[in-house]
Amino acid sequence: MVRRLPEYLTIWVPLLLSAAHLVSFSLWTIWISFTPSTLVPVSGWVGLRNYTSVLASRNWQIAFDNLLLFGSAFVLLSLVTGLTLAILLDQRIRGENVLRSIFLYPLAVSFVVTGTVWSWLLNPGIGIQKLVHDFGWTSFRFDWLIDRDMAIWTIVIAAIWQSSGFAMALFLAGLRSVDADLIKAAQIDGAGPVRMYRRVILPTLWPITITVIVIQLQFAISTFDLVRALTNGGPGIATQLPALVVYDLMFQRNLLGRGAAAAVLMLLILLSVLLPYAAWQYLQQRRAPHA
Amino acid sequence: MPMITRRRLLAGSAAALALPAFARAQSAIKPRLTAISQWSAGSDGAAITALGKKFEEKGGIWQHSPVPGFTTEMMNKLRAQIMAGDPPACSQLKGPEIAAWSKIAPTVSLDELVAAAGYEKVVAPDLAKLHKPGGKWIALPLQIYSTNMLFLSKRAMDKAKADKIPVTWADFNDLAEKMKAGGVAYPIANGGTRPDDGQKFEASLAGISPAAYRAAIMNLDKKALEGPEIKAAFVQVRKIADWMDPNVGAQHFSTNLKRFVDGDMGMMIMGGWAQGVLRNAGFKFEDFMITPGPSDNGKPVFLLNADAFIFWQRKEPDLQAGQALMAQLVMDPAIQTMYSQITGSIPVRTDVDLSGEGWSDGQRRTAAALKDAIASNQAVLSVAHNMAQENGLTAALIDVITEYVKNKTIKPEQAVTRLAEAVESAR
Repeated sequence: MVRRLPEYLTIWVPLLLSAAHLVSFSLWTIWISFTPSTLVPVSGWVGLRNYTSVLASRNWQIAFDNLLLFGSAFVLLSLVTGLTLAILLDQRIRGENVLRSIFLYPLAVSFVVTGTVWSWLLNPGIGIQKLVHDFGWTSFRFDWLIDRDMAIWTIVIAAIWQSSGFAMALFLAGLRSVDADLIKAAQIDGAGPVRMYRRVILPTLWPITITVIVIQLQFAISTFDLVRALTNGGPGIATQLPALVVYDLMFQRNLLGRGAAAAVLMLLILLSVLLPYAAWQYLQQRRAPHA
Repeated sequence: MPMITRRRLLAGSAAALALPAFARAQSAIKPRLTAISQWSAGSDGAAITALGKKFEEKGGIWQHSPVPGFTTEMMNKLRAQIMAGDPPACSQLKGPEIAAWSKIAPTVSLDELVAAAGYEKVVAPDLAKLHKPGGKWIALPLQIYSTNMLFLSKRAMDKAKADKIPVTWADFNDLAEKMKAGGVAYPIANGGTRPDDGQKFEASLAGISPAAYRAAIMNLDKKALEGPEIKAAFVQVRKIADWMDPNVGAQHFSTNLKRFVDGDMGMMIMGGWAQGVLRNAGFKFEDFMITPGPSDNGKPVFLLNADAFIFWQRKEPDLQAGQALMAQLVMDPAIQTMYSQITGSIPVRTDVDLSGEGWSDGQRRTAAALKDAIASNQAVLSVAHNMAQENGLTAALIDVITEYVKNKTIKPEQAVTRLAEAVESAR
């Protein structure tokens, strides 16, 4: 026991410090969201006024709708892309290591770089559209970046490029950890490859799927740098996302109270994803010993 | 007792007045200045470094910490320092933000120094007002840009077979049509950033009616905000938007400078700083012309954008001496000349002679426009560059404008209503 004390200290002190740090700043932000703070935090009580004005603003409404669309499209598509890549890589092909690195590599690139590069590729005047035009297909149109209704999809594209490699890595690990006896048994029963994946392998992947969904969702909710570099919320304010609104309110409009309110709203959205996940994990753990 | 207090006060203020001279004579107190600004690189960085050299030549210690990036990043550092009770002796800040920030921490009154330099007479009245909220000078403007200069591409003018420089918006629209007919792909060169869109609107409205601009945008008069001039301005903005290259997305205006010089794009409504950017990119003065933005009454309209320093109260005698020395330097015509010649702006002082060497034609024309605009009361404050309103209100206005520029299904009437609503809800 005496010998183990220092080990506890090394883990618990930093853990407590970072938890206290996180919690105290969250509480402070929540408090500020109820004050009339503008340039600097001030005390005072304005009730829910900051919340009502954020919720009523066009910027927040657009941002929220975009989040719903971006979040679901991004999570779903990156899941499908990641799983497809993982299954293809799982076929014991040659050069798997090289391919895996290539697919994972975008994850190592910062979002600002991703956003900037895609803003060039997707720009109809200099990017893909121009390339195809120069090849001779002049009626080709790919101008989502400057189309108000489609611009949010450019962010989906860039985000998928960036992070489906991550989903792939998790799925691949899952595929590799499927019990070999299970596969052999299925083979003896005469299951073809399609049937094998559908009925035997994929059902064992669902815990990983949920992990991927949760990680990608919390990324989607807090997306900031990608949008800032790719569209900066434009054209106009068509691709606003909640994190951009928070930054804009706090640091560009100097409305700390309203910015804090928007940040708390973001926290609530995040909790609505994380709490069910935590509950689910808790149940899994309780069930595990009995199984 | 009251007698003594008054005497002490008098002695104190006299000492404060005499401080810089005193400090130099008495070398015990060496003036020192802690300053923060966003100027770290390019011509801005070079200019403030040159200013620091002058400060050191006068025997001071120059401690400038640049915060690179947008002005907001600099503001975050300033906010943190103020909240920690350790503001810099002097920081960059501009427009109505001077008044807003002066409420959160004590500032230094510069009234005596300004009076001693006779500075007030040579500063545009609207500009002076911004730097003396509550009637006291607490900040000093450093350099001026106009945000509505009109840049004309020589090659595009040749394509349009035009040689007349447009004066009114009707002339401007004519020329744009001629350019379009002459094979200029996009008569307007532009970027896609928020201030860029904002500039199109402010140039349109102020060019149509400076009085309406003053009432609606600077004074937020409800009637003026719904007036016919606002609608006319939005109609003009739509024309401009139709002549722009839609592909610019959210790019910076400088991305298109080559196409502008090549005559692929014709005209650019941009701040005077574009001259510096064009020159830095290696283009020659023969490639383009600079003239004040269109004005329907024929007299130049000047949309003011001015950088400034605000002075924060400090107890240390050396910092106080440094503040006095800095204030004197910033007001000095020789220093303003040096600064503007590096950055491409024009001096704040209206009495600086720009005929000599080191000035460009564009700068001379800008300075002349400012003089004329002040005389005819047509010098107004830029909203796109945070001079007319505080940041929160500016952002609300620009939201409406940038959406209108990019979404052509919004009608001018709708834009007028939205603009008035935005002001109402941001107030």
